[in-house]
Amino acid sequence: MGHAASCHSLPVARDSAAMSDWTLERLTVRVFEILRDELLEVTGDFTPGSDLVGAGLDSLAVTQLMLAIEESTGVWVDESLLTPENLETSETLAACVHEQLQQA
Amino acid sequence: MSHAASSAIPLTGADCFLRAFDDEVRRRAGASHASQLVLRLGPGFDLAAFESRLAEAAAAHPILHAPIRRRLGLGAPAYRLDRARAESAPKVRVHPHLEGRSLPDLFFARMNEPFRAERGELLRVDVVPRPHGTDLAMTWLHMLLDGAGSEAFVEWLESVHRGEREVTELPPDDVVTSPGLPAGLTFQQRGRSATAWQAWMASMAEPCPRSLAGPLADLRQDLRYDLLTLPEAETERVSERARQKAGFLTPMLFYLACAIRAHDAIFRERRLDPGAYVVPLPVNIRPKGSEHAIFRTRVSLLWFRVLPEQVRDLDGLIGELKRQRVDAIKAGRIEGGVIAMDFARWAPKRVYAHMARRAMKGELCSFFFAFTGEFAGGIDRFFGAPIENAFHAPPVPTSPGSVAAISLRSGRLNVSHVQQAGMLSDRERELFQHALRADLLGES
Repeated sequence: MGHAASCHSLPVARDSAAMSDWTLERLTVRVFEILRDELLEVTGDFTPGSDLVGAGLDSLAVTQLMLAIEESTGVWVDESLLTPENLETSETLAACVHEQLQQA
Repeated sequence: MSHAASSAIPLTGADCFLRAFDDEVRRRAGASHASQLVLRLGPGFDLAAFESRLAEAAAAHPILHAPIRRRLGLGAPAYRLDRARAESAPKVRVHPHLEGRSLPDLFFARMNEPFRAERGELLRVDVVPRPHGTDLAMTWLHMLLDGAGSEAFVEWLESVHRGEREVTELPPDDVVTSPGLPAGLTFQQRGRSATAWQAWMASMAEPCPRSLAGPLADLRQDLRYDLLTLPEAETERVSERARQKAGFLTPMLFYLACAIRAHDAIFRERRLDPGAYVVPLPVNIRPKGSEHAIFRTRVSLLWFRVLPEQVRDLDGLIGELKRQRVDAIKAGRIEGGVIAMDFARWAPKRVYAHMARRAMKGELCSFFFAFTGEFAGGIDRFFGAPIENAFHAPPVPTSPGSVAAISLRSGRLNVSHVQQAGMLSDRERELFQHALRADLLGES
């Protein structure tokens, strides 16, 4: 029964760096790469500006992405920030995470 | 890809989990652990084409009627494709429309008839013409298809009917040996993961959950279901409320919270202590690229446990479920569940059920729950007829005796509450529906 989310059991590659090293650009690339290479099934035209839900982003993929971000940056993204607007593209998601990093 | 090249396809760990409870239901309740989906179709259903396509599908994919056995009585159980017999192929029964007869009664009866899995009897279809449409119920032994797989099967059959694919062509990944099992782990790592999962499960039993049916007892299975269908306007309100309260990617936690509180309303009415509410949430483990895989059960289970005092406030309850979900994912419980169930493929089925029951003092959980999202969203017609509504009626052993399944179809929310007949009084069934509606819609 049940198929609210798909499980991708591959471990997400880590990229540890100090919190201050995470510029918006670097974070955007990191988020984009995790989504493209490890969490979503996307074609070659997937870009940092592509629609994520349309590309198959689901609740589990988001949680796994948040885990990878926490591993990398040490910050757990507040779930209340995971709005449709913030999860629209890799760019908007990275901007949201970056903003929280700035406040951490 | 088709099954034609294989002689046997192993059951998944989750299949074996269901097989253990199918065995329990067979021995103690004289039935099977069979799931059902219902399509309410408008006019234009092409019955002859449907029967023809289903027969072609069974010929191309003998898993649809393959006996489930262990080879030489040893090893993991498998679908023995080489032993599939034509007489066990899925059959379509057409029933006359009977004025005054409650349609679900017929479908309830189907859920309570035993399947002869050892002979490959795994799937049945019942069709009932209506004056302006057709009702179709597909009932199957639950280990053959999970909820997502059953919808994928319906969509796949329709795509074959439309000539969009060959009947031999299955979605990618449909015949892999161990779907969902994490790759690259050593035997020891898998053992540690399974042990951790079992320990986590054991922690759910303090205090022990209590179901509305009470601990396991020999009782003939007599499942029935109440269906609550909300109109479009109310569904829109509920969906928005789910998004606001639980997040737009995790609405299932809102629905789970509502289902817990609906059960709690009955416990309070009975003045019974529910112990802890322990509820499994099935999680789809289809990996990327095989979202539409059809056959076998591809789920893991995330378990939630809340105390009665945490149930009183809906927002607080949702917050607790959210916390538990993230903690469980962080701790690798989804993968742990897959690994633990995979180990159990080699265990005798009675041992598996016995272990689960023993851990919970004769119970399995408080109740079953599933939220499956949009039902077969890829199609709006089925063999020529528009799909007016569709929903699942999942099975439940006589203990816990209650399962709430929630899905959406054509802008309407369906809640099917499957229960052992007589477990709830008429007043309690009304109370359940009333409490559920109140939380879904935010009405006091």
